[in-house]
Amino acid sequence: MFFLHEIERIVNLHPSYFGPKMEDEINKSLTDALEGKNMGSYFVLCILQNWEISEGRCVPGTGTAEYTVHLKAVVWKPFRGEIVDGRVKNVIENGFFVEIGPLSCFVNKNMIPSDMVYDGNATPPQWTDNADQVIEKGTQVRLKIKGIRGEIGDMFSIGTIKEDYLGLLS
Amino acid sequence: MEDFNDVESDNEFNPAPAEDSGDEKQTQSRARQSSSRARSRDVDVDADDDDGEDDAKVALSPGKVSGAGGDAEGDDDVNGEADDDANGEVEGENGEDDEGEGEDLGAGDDDDEDDEDEDEEEDEADAVGRPRKRQKRGRRNQFLDVEAEVDDEEDEEEEDEDIPDEVHPDDLLDRHAANEHDDRAHRELDRDRELVSQVEVEKLAAAMKEKYGRNRAAQSDAAVIPQRLLLPTVEDPTIWAVHCKPGKEKEVVMSIMKRIMDRGKTREPLQITTCFERGEATGFFYVEARRQADVMEAVDGIQNAWPRKAGGEVGTMLISISEMPDLLKTRKTKILEVGTYVRIRKPQLYHMDLGQVDYVESNGVDITVKVVPRLDYGANEDLNAALDANGKRKRGFAAQNKGPRPPPKLFNSDEAKKRDPRNLNQVRMVDKKHWTYKGKDYINGFLYMDMKVNQVYTDSVEPRLEEVTMFAAGQEDGTENLDLHALSQSLKASTSSSDYLPGDRVEIYQGEQSGLAGRAVKVHGDIVTIKVSSEGPLKGKEVEAPKKGLRKAFNEGDHVKVIGGKYMDEVGMVTRVKDDRITLVTDANTESITVFSKDLREAADSGGTTGTMKWDLYDLIMLDAATAAIITQLDRESCRILDQNGNSRTILNSHISGRIDPRHGAIAQDANGNEMRTGDLVNESGGEGRTGKLLHIHRQTLFILDRGQTANGGIWVTRTQNVMSVAAKGASAINTGRDLSKMNPAMQINGGAPQPMMPPPRIFGRDKMIGKTVSVRKGVYKGLLGIVKDTTETEARVELHTKNKLITVNRDLLIVKDPATGATLDINGRFGGGRGRGSTPSGGQTRYGGATPGARVPDWGGARTPMGASGSRTPAWGMSGSRTPAAAAGGRTPAPAWGRSGGDGGKTPAWGQGDGSRTVNPYTDGSRTSYGGSGGAANVSVPLFFSAESLYLTTPPRTKAWGSSSRTPFHPSAGVGSRTPAYQPNQSAYNAPTPGAGPYSAPTPGGAPTPAGAHTPGAHGAYSAPTPYDAPTPGYGGAPTPAAGGMGMDQPTPGARYGGAYGTPAAAPTPGAYPETPGGFADDDGPRWE
Repeated sequence: MFFLHEIERIVNLHPSYFGPKMEDEINKSLTDALEGKNMGSYFVLCILQNWEISEGRCVPGTGTAEYTVHLKAVVWKPFRGEIVDGRVKNVIENGFFVEIGPLSCFVNKNMIPSDMVYDGNATPPQWTDNADQVIEKGTQVRLKIKGIRGEIGDMFSIGTIKEDYLGLLS
Repeated sequence: MEDFNDVESDNEFNPAPAEDSGDEKQTQSRARQSSSRARSRDVDVDADDDDGEDDAKVALSPGKVSGAGGDAEGDDDVNGEADDDANGEVEGENGEDDEGEGEDLGAGDDDDEDDEDEDEEEDEADAVGRPRKRQKRGRRNQFLDVEAEVDDEEDEEEEDEDIPDEVHPDDLLDRHAANEHDDRAHRELDRDRELVSQVEVEKLAAAMKEKYGRNRAAQSDAAVIPQRLLLPTVEDPTIWAVHCKPGKEKEVVMSIMKRIMDRGKTREPLQITTCFERGEATGFFYVEARRQADVMEAVDGIQNAWPRKAGGEVGTMLISISEMPDLLKTRKTKILEVGTYVRIRKPQLYHMDLGQVDYVESNGVDITVKVVPRLDYGANEDLNAALDANGKRKRGFAAQNKGPRPPPKLFNSDEAKKRDPRNLNQVRMVDKKHWTYKGKDYINGFLYMDMKVNQVYTDSVEPRLEEVTMFAAGQEDGTENLDLHALSQSLKASTSSSDYLPGDRVEIYQGEQSGLAGRAVKVHGDIVTIKVSSEGPLKGKEVEAPKKGLRKAFNEGDHVKVIGGKYMDEVGMVTRVKDDRITLVTDANTESITVFSKDLREAADSGGTTGTMKWDLYDLIMLDAATAAIITQLDRESCRILDQNGNSRTILNSHISGRIDPRHGAIAQDANGNEMRTGDLVNESGGEGRTGKLLHIHRQTLFILDRGQTANGGIWVTRTQNVMSVAAKGASAINTGRDLSKMNPAMQINGGAPQPMMPPPRIFGRDKMIGKTVSVRKGVYKGLLGIVKDTTETEARVELHTKNKLITVNRDLLIVKDPATGATLDINGRFGGGRGRGSTPSGGQTRYGGATPGARVPDWGGARTPMGASGSRTPAWGMSGSRTPAAAAGGRTPAPAWGRSGGDGGKTPAWGQGDGSRTVNPYTDGSRTSYGGSGGAANVSVPLFFSAESLYLTTPPRTKAWGSSSRTPFHPSAGVGSRTPAYQPNQSAYNAPTPGAGPYSAPTPGGAPTPAGAHTPGAHGAYSAPTPYDAPTPGYGGAPTPAAGGMGMDQPTPGARYGGAYGTPAAAPTPGAYPETPGGFADDDGPRWE
């Protein structure tokens, strides 16, 4: 689900940036540090520019200045049970991987309707019900997230297409 | 018959107590009812608020009211006469009065309500023949709806029966009093009766059990009867222990059983009740009978039974009553299956060795166990040991124990043949694998021992994989053939499975509570307390349940860790739940595995194998000196590896000889010759086009992780030249230091790349050196004067005064002298300054060097800003112009001024003032002057240059000038502040040329006649401007320029900011103003531009 999330960050600015463009610098470093990053349980998609920068404080001993910045960002936090669309990244005998934007999701064969079977002889390998449904690399699918595992800097989920209205997007 | 009578009499006898307790319950239930009744009344009372006391009284004394009803009504009718009997009404009236007052006082709605109530009351009272009690009951019944409905049906039944005799008199009364609509009494009665009957039945059953429970015939449902009631008493038959031949207990019992059957139909059946044996008590069996004679009769003549033991020993012993229960205590013996692993207890030699059950005798006691033999083939045997009576050496471990215990090793017939052939026999010629050695069987190298169950430990065997592999290694075909099933059986049993922890999610799947789910909050022994979370009446309550009917519950998507069984320590997410079988996808390699829920636990995080391991997943390890491999899967005892050749196999952890620590900053070249580091993303350039993250670089081999793959846990191996680096992520990680080109915003203005240093300007036209009188300052000709005849870029040909000789000298070694005074001249930056810095007499210059760029750069940032940036510069420019001409002091001065922010301002005005002074100096070379100016500019940074340029372009004259002054140019970046120094007061006298600034700057103010001393201030300004300081200072003071006193930056230059700055110079009012100066200007620009 997408949220407008308020984030507080502390930015250290090297003295060489002290000057008229300081804010730009803070701005830039924050964007570099946050945008597109996985924050453990959510992804920062976009940082909105109307943030609030505190007064700078020199850090004793280093000469850098420390700013506390409050900013708002559009984030995406995937939830268990959320229905999402994604693109199949890889098909293996055990299921297939889906890219949901920045999130990688695995659909195990237990979570694929039983009428779909793996066909490893096809090129590329695919899951198919031998009728109109073919899931192969690049296919758009709709799935439901069943579980999410977060690691530092990484997130992984498993999903299912074994429910109504899930699966291949035509 | 007797029995039957007993039953009857019991029946008759029992009712009393039964009824007692029944009554008790009845009364209780009545009490409960009455309390509920009371409660409902309370409710009524509350509801009626105001009638309060009146109503309550009525309700609580129904009899009275019904009796007194008439009177009360009568009184009411009479309206007003206070009558004690009709107390309530009177009070009611009073109340009304009170309320009346209340109304007067303006109390609102409440009073109205009260009025209504009163009215009602009156109405009620008025209603003839409807006692209040009825009314109340009617109301109350509304609150008892549930009960009423439940009971209705039974009511009817009961009514049909219609047994008035059993009705309690009170009830009867009630009943009469009730009208047709009020069936409360009925129901109450019914309930009571039902209760009584129920209790009676239970009581009866209990009584029966108590009475007959001890009867053996009734023992079938022993589970229900409390154990203590079954304990033997003196009344019961006694048990006798009878000797028999050890090991033949079962046979004996079977014989006796046969005898019982044989004689069962005869006139003399055996008078014993039971006969049994216990597995562990060898040499005894037990007979239960009333008399010892009966025992003897049953046992006499049975083979192997010795009821009368010879030698005065007693063959038959009475078991005391207290010991009898112990005889029958069952101990759950583990059922041994073929294939399970056990630990040997008995032959000391094999103590605690792992054995595998090979065969289980049907009696469940004798087993054959396969073990790995520990043989030394007689190596430690003491051949000289005394022979015992039988002519054999003493056997047994004690005798053999002299040497160390031989290590477990498969039986080797060759070795046995060689070293101890006497004891070796081959069992079958056909089967070469079967040997007998020292009376023991060896098949396929294993020792097969016949043992009793009690000679092995079956609990907590916990076989280690090494041990297990010993068993696997010796398969007939030589292949490793691990019986994983058996292994997992043993392993499973070994782990403390089905262990619940508070917090575990569990569900009950057996018993009446099945389906209940919740979280365990407490675990005590076999009882788990669960906080129910599933929907239902029990939700939120805590329920106790035995572990037996419990299992852990998981949902799809749960992140779990396997805590037992074959897949121990795997972590993954649940994809399917079926009963207690849970399928999960492992994190490590997205494999599906199915495990029992009892072996799972919710994983708080991504676990992986525990910290007890020496290795980690994805560690690069050493197999042998030449082979590296990566761990793709890690278990407790073994791990799966992928070696550098792409071969995958499972090895024992102990086979890993060491870990290869990742070399910090290891670099490899990819197919394109680009460097790769660990952590980079790479693509396979050919083949399957795989991709992944580079995990390890080992010589020419790369280990790459692609989570999308399942084979080998996503790891693949390739050579360095088969991949292409996608994004060099590692590269930046290596440079730990700050990247100053990034740090410094000024460096980034032109796209980040620092401006390359400007080359020293070229010199055009006739060299000014030619014709000058110079002295050589170094070398064999040191100190000699001469005239320069010709020059090249680096050298000069000098005609010496002393000898009529032309020598070639490095230009740097020449000092220009005034032919008349002998004073040293600085004819131009290049000449005197740059190169000759050292040579220049003027201390000022030297300092110059100090001031140089290096120093400035750092300041730079700060300096600029405050300065007002360009603003300041601009003026400088102008100044420079002026200066230039001024050649003397003026020009330079400003430059320094620059340094100090304030300076600018100062200068500018100077300008305005007509600085004539400066300008004045008609230094042909203006060039140098510019120097100073440029110095300032240089500091300024790139933008400045631009400005310079524009300036340059716009003012042709200057350019030209510039050209002429060629040397002047200094290197902007070099930081030229150098010229300043030039101005020493002394110099003026001498005309010392200011040395060029830094290396580049040869240009420094050329001869800079100090005269101006005045202006010099600049010197000082230069940031820090070291040098200048001393020298110039003086000038400074006087100098108009400096005066500035910090006039703001912009003063002169309107455009304070960068942009503005440019403009300003461009506008070049200054230049215009000072036509003479052009030269100077030119200098400035010129150099840069070149």
